[in-house]
Amino acid sequence: MRRFILIVALLTSSFANAQDNLLGMLAVSDEPNYIGYLFKGTKIVNAQSVELPAQGVLQFNIQHRFGTLNSGIYNLYGLDFSQVRLSFDYGIEDWLAVSIGRSSSLKVIDANSKIRLKRQVKEGFPVTIVLNSAAYLKQWQDNQVQEYFVFANQLSYTHQILLARKINRDLTLQLSPTIVHYNLVEMQKESHDRYSLGIGGRQKLTQRISLNAEYFYQLNERRNNNILSLGFDIETGGHVFQLHLSNSPAMIDSEFITQTTGEWLKGDIYFGFNISRVFTIY
Amino acid sequence: MVRQIIKIFLLLICSNCSAQQYIGNNGRVSFFSEAPMEDISAVNKRVSAVFDATSNDLVFQLRISDFVFPKSLMQEHFNENYLESDIYPSAIFIGRLVNIRNSKATVQGDLTIHGKTNKIKVDGVMKQDEQRVNIEAEFMVKLEDYDIKIPRVVMYKIAESVDIEVNIELEVIK
Repeated sequence: MRRFILIVALLTSSFANAQDNLLGMLAVSDEPNYIGYLFKGTKIVNAQSVELPAQGVLQFNIQHRFGTLNSGIYNLYGLDFSQVRLSFDYGIEDWLAVSIGRSSSLKVIDANSKIRLKRQVKEGFPVTIVLNSAAYLKQWQDNQVQEYFVFANQLSYTHQILLARKINRDLTLQLSPTIVHYNLVEMQKESHDRYSLGIGGRQKLTQRISLNAEYFYQLNERRNNNILSLGFDIETGGHVFQLHLSNSPAMIDSEFITQTTGEWLKGDIYFGFNISRVFTIY
Repeated sequence: MVRQIIKIFLLLICSNCSAQQYIGNNGRVSFFSEAPMEDISAVNKRVSAVFDATSNDLVFQLRISDFVFPKSLMQEHFNENYLESDIYPSAIFIGRLVNIRNSKATVQGDLTIHGKTNKIKVDGVMKQDEQRVNIEAEFMVKLEDYDIKIPRVVMYKIAESVDIEVNIELEVIK
């Protein structure tokens, strides 16, 4: 009899687990657990992040850069000077985005494409990999065109491999090996190709505010300073505000990577901001 | 004595082997929240569930990141700020069918979302035959019960409770 009770007890205890067994029967989705949202915006500060606008999303960006903070009260510490870049980013596919923009002071039109090759997977592939390519066209005026004018000389390019890893839910780090190519250089002995290595990251301070930083180290043909930028991302529903300080006022990669003249220690610091607004097209 | 035990044992084994179990992996759970500024809705079409017709046990499971929103930014906020799907990747219901009459069913059990578990009781429609089971239900969830915090700045945008609709077809396991 005792044995009988034992068996009944054993069986009933197995019934108590029945629901857990049912849960175990449910297929765990075989889709990898992708890590997303590595950065708030498609740019860290000036440089591209591994984020793309989502498929079918049009993002309108307004970027402003003011003069240097050390330009004195007469210029309201740089606020009197302002340059702007307007651009549109569009997500064609989840992994493919294009953008077009124009910078005011340099009079450069830029076109950019971003292709995401790999995504970071939880307990799997360690990084998100994105290819970024941009082409720049410097505008000209017909009455200033000289005899030896060649259209190709107005063009320059940037190509980057962006590798980013979300270390934890707040911290993301990115490496950006970069080539900038100029069709036209100032001196004959100058190299047309400029290699550099960018590092950047963001640290979330709250759910809605993060601290971002980026730095590009020029590996060859270094004629100017390396760029260092610090900024905050502030998210308010449909907008992302990015406020930042940098030693370059340029907003296109080729310019701020190879042609930065400002020095942080001398106070050549430019204040700027980016505002982006997204529209869902379909 | 030994013979009796064997008999009971066989009986139990047999009842197990005749147990009708139904399973489905393409269920739908959608939610809707009406708010003055912007209605918020999302749908998850990869809900899975299993029902044991012998014990009346019913289990649902879904992945939070499988919810699709009409606006990708909403989806980002949902995953990153509100449901924290990186920490709490799935929602689970473990319960039992407690009453069924003319396909009108009542289900009771534990619903776990955002790492918090609450007892819920839901009325719905359940149609069962030899081959499949159809389940439809609608119920309300209060965000507060699951520790889902909406910052005061956007409070006007998001209602404090959301309307959830469940729809799934299960097939018998052979």
